[in-house]
Amino acid sequence: MKQVLEGNSAVAEAVRLARVQVISAYPITPQSHIVEVLSDYCASGKMDARYLRVESEHSCLAALVGAACGGVRTFTATSSAGLAYMHEMLHWTAGSRLPIVMAEVNRALGAPWNIWSDQTDSLSQRDTGWIQLYCEDGQEVFDTTLQAFRLAEWVNLPVMVVTEGFLISHTYEPVDIPEQEEVDRFLPPYNPAFKVDTKNPFTVNSIAPPSIYMEIRHDNAMAMDEVPERFDDVEKEFEVLFNRRYGAVEAINCDDAEIILVTSGTITSTARLLLEDLRDRGEKVGLLKMKMFRPFPVEQVCRALKSAMKVAVIDRNFSSGAGGIFLQEVRAALCNREDRPLVFGYIVGLGGRDVTKAVLEDIYKMTKNSDVPSDKSVWIGLREVKHAIGR
Amino acid sequence: MNVAMGQKPFVAITYETTESNKTGSWRFLKPLYQDKQSPCSAGCPAGEDIGMIEMLARQGLFKEAWETILRENPLPGVCGRVCFHPCESVCNRKDFDSPIAVHALERFLADAAVGAALTTKWERLPQKNQRIAVIGAGPAGLSMAWFLSMLGYPCDIFEALPEAGGILRWGIPEYRLPLAVLQSEIARIEQLGVRMRTNNAVVSETFDELRRSYSAVFLGCGHAHGAPLGIAGETPESVKDGLDFLRRARQGERPLCDGFSVVIGGGNTAVDVARTITRFGGNAAILYRRRREDMPAFGDEIAMALEEGVELEELVAPSAIEYHNGRLRLLLRKMKIKGQDKDGRGRIVFDGKKTVKKVIDHVFAATGATAAEPWYSPPLAQRGVMGFSHCVLLLEAGGAPVIYGGDLTNEAKNVAQAIASGKQAAMVLDTYFERGIDEIKSRLEACVVGDGPALSMEAYLGGPRGGRSSHLVQYGEINTDYFQNETRVTQPRLAVEDRSCSFNEIELPITAESALREAGRCFNCGLCDECDNCYVFCPDAAVIRSGNMENRHINYDYCKGCGVCAVECPRYALIMGGEGL
Repeated sequence: MKQVLEGNSAVAEAVRLARVQVISAYPITPQSHIVEVLSDYCASGKMDARYLRVESEHSCLAALVGAACGGVRTFTATSSAGLAYMHEMLHWTAGSRLPIVMAEVNRALGAPWNIWSDQTDSLSQRDTGWIQLYCEDGQEVFDTTLQAFRLAEWVNLPVMVVTEGFLISHTYEPVDIPEQEEVDRFLPPYNPAFKVDTKNPFTVNSIAPPSIYMEIRHDNAMAMDEVPERFDDVEKEFEVLFNRRYGAVEAINCDDAEIILVTSGTITSTARLLLEDLRDRGEKVGLLKMKMFRPFPVEQVCRALKSAMKVAVIDRNFSSGAGGIFLQEVRAALCNREDRPLVFGYIVGLGGRDVTKAVLEDIYKMTKNSDVPSDKSVWIGLREVKHAIGR
Repeated sequence: MNVAMGQKPFVAITYETTESNKTGSWRFLKPLYQDKQSPCSAGCPAGEDIGMIEMLARQGLFKEAWETILRENPLPGVCGRVCFHPCESVCNRKDFDSPIAVHALERFLADAAVGAALTTKWERLPQKNQRIAVIGAGPAGLSMAWFLSMLGYPCDIFEALPEAGGILRWGIPEYRLPLAVLQSEIARIEQLGVRMRTNNAVVSETFDELRRSYSAVFLGCGHAHGAPLGIAGETPESVKDGLDFLRRARQGERPLCDGFSVVIGGGNTAVDVARTITRFGGNAAILYRRRREDMPAFGDEIAMALEEGVELEELVAPSAIEYHNGRLRLLLRKMKIKGQDKDGRGRIVFDGKKTVKKVIDHVFAATGATAAEPWYSPPLAQRGVMGFSHCVLLLEAGGAPVIYGGDLTNEAKNVAQAIASGKQAAMVLDTYFERGIDEIKSRLEACVVGDGPALSMEAYLGGPRGGRSSHLVQYGEINTDYFQNETRVTQPRLAVEDRSCSFNEIELPITAESALREAGRCFNCGLCDECDNCYVFCPDAAVIRSGNMENRHINYDYCKGCGVCAVECPRYALIMGGEGL
């Protein structure tokens, strides 16, 4: 049934319907609404789950690692500094092969303080071994959260469902929420690969010396390599039941496009509008939406971009000294392909600054009018400011 | 040791125990369970184990809590009512919200034991050959007899008056200390085999006789006689002794106090005389040469006296008295404060030549008291005389040792100090008989509670209390994160209209529920109450508990010395120290 829901509530409804058994979280804007709803559900009995209060995000994820080792379905949500504080435990979760699902609501990292949308928080955790799926709107957030449990438990890797502060988290949209029975058909009870047992005790993650550490890591890498295929399987099952499908990437009008814009998250929605306008004007433009970032779907990206002459990667994130993070990954994916397009990079919307259709159109024009891309990302829409320091 | 799990994810899992990794070798600081001293116990002249008493009470072990009091104090029903509870003014909880109502709990436990007719079997030391005579059945003598009995000495108490109790029986009004309460405590002492010889005044001839027929004599005769005011015109008729007035009232007489009486003094006796007068239907005013805040009487008692209609005049000192038209005329000099005394109280001087005259019907003196006979007082320091904080031992050829105690040896004169005196005297005598004179000081020092001078009989008898560290726990050492603000129990009282015309006890009992709650407020400073925080927090599962407190210990094979246990101990019963501990 369609309901008008805040993006955060869409996540919470998915977690409820997924019959999660242990939830732990530490509040942080703009994520807090997710776990506020869930804690209500746990307290009222609407969910049969344990809600663990913790004193930090580090403990939060540590607690879930313990719970997941006990063989139960687990969930947490965080943002920005909270995610940064989890950093060590992010590695630990993936290394333990525990299918924990997290909603990560993009928010800029300090300093200075900023609570608005910016992908640098989740992207700076790209090497932690978590699957990362970026979402565009409330419905996708709901669907992806459900899919995340199915995917995580299939490949035994944790999944980060990435949404955006305020633009998704606090925005009300119609979201189709299925009945519990329908969700149960899609998502069976969790059948853990291993489960600690006090009657037959064993130690998980005991020391692994050089003679075996590498093999454990390789097994992990192989599971990650399998993800695009398994995600496709999950989506097929999902589509049968719910008639919706997203893809690891979504290529729109890319087959005949000369210039393709590469976007992720909510900027994609704005780009869709621009695309229609430009196509109406006869521009040969395409759009590639990146949903899956880890593992990076190299095959799908290269296939979508292969006929373009120019690619404009638009990043609402920034790796200082290296530019936009999607830009780096797209360039890396293409670098060994023949007839690869020129790849332009643009930094927009950091710290929640609005990215309008006009901004995207400027980027399109700049790309069209430039012969050679800059090595670095180009910053769009910078204002002239006088620094207050020293006054 | 790692096993691949087939098609399952490759995770480092081992069925081997981690016990081979003895992480204790990483340690350079060592946690150690160490019970310590609480300020309340050190502040209690009788050295009661208050932290332990409240812990037992909180657990509903009322009998055990009561027995824990009796190990150090034979008079909990009395002290729960009339002691000035110095324990409460040093209670660490005062810095958190308000001190524990130790006196209300002590009274509750004593009353509950009497109400349930509890008896207790004392582990007494084997009977000794020495018989001891105790002169004076006041709190010091009663305490001496109680502790001597525990130590195995048969003893007889000689009391001049028809009943035992001393000042408790004759000097404190019924509305503060009901007779039945005192009698049940005295009965418990007699049950230990103490023989009570009342109506048996010891004069100097019989005293010498006692020194020949007993192995030692204890003199705890107290301050039986009120001191005169020392003013012009004073006679025993014109200025009556306040203590004598109280004694006669408690003997069932109705001493003359019609019309308007003034009571000179600022202590509890003065307040009690004035309040007794109002209960007999007279009017009374207390005249004090200092100010109200300087009065040694309990603040609460003064406040209640004023509520009951007693007047208070401050900064007046009597200088002369004369008869005047069948009444009395009292000449008073006005006083004023100028500077400070050594004890911090305002120094009083005459306020010029200002005087005031009062025509009244009766004057009672309650400005201090003295021994009834000069020889009751201890001898001055000389060869054969050993002085201690609460007693004096006299050893001389030709007679049994004499040990002096009670108000006549104590610097501060109150029930708790008298009990402390009896206890110390019992220890002194026992050590003298068992180990010789040279061992007395060191044995007493080994029983000191906190920074003293309170002594613990449990420690003297080799009980677990003697094994505690001498460290006095400070407020900052309590982990107050584990405590919440809670209101201190208020003892209910008779309404003023109900109390001012009767001698019924004013302070009413608290309920068992209130007692449990109040005992639960106690920090139990320095005492392990098996809260298990150490067990829960230890990251190495190195805290081993096996049922009782003695067996709770640290497994040093695995303890890394992180100190989490000591930090999370709410009560400072765990310390971190060097490996040499």
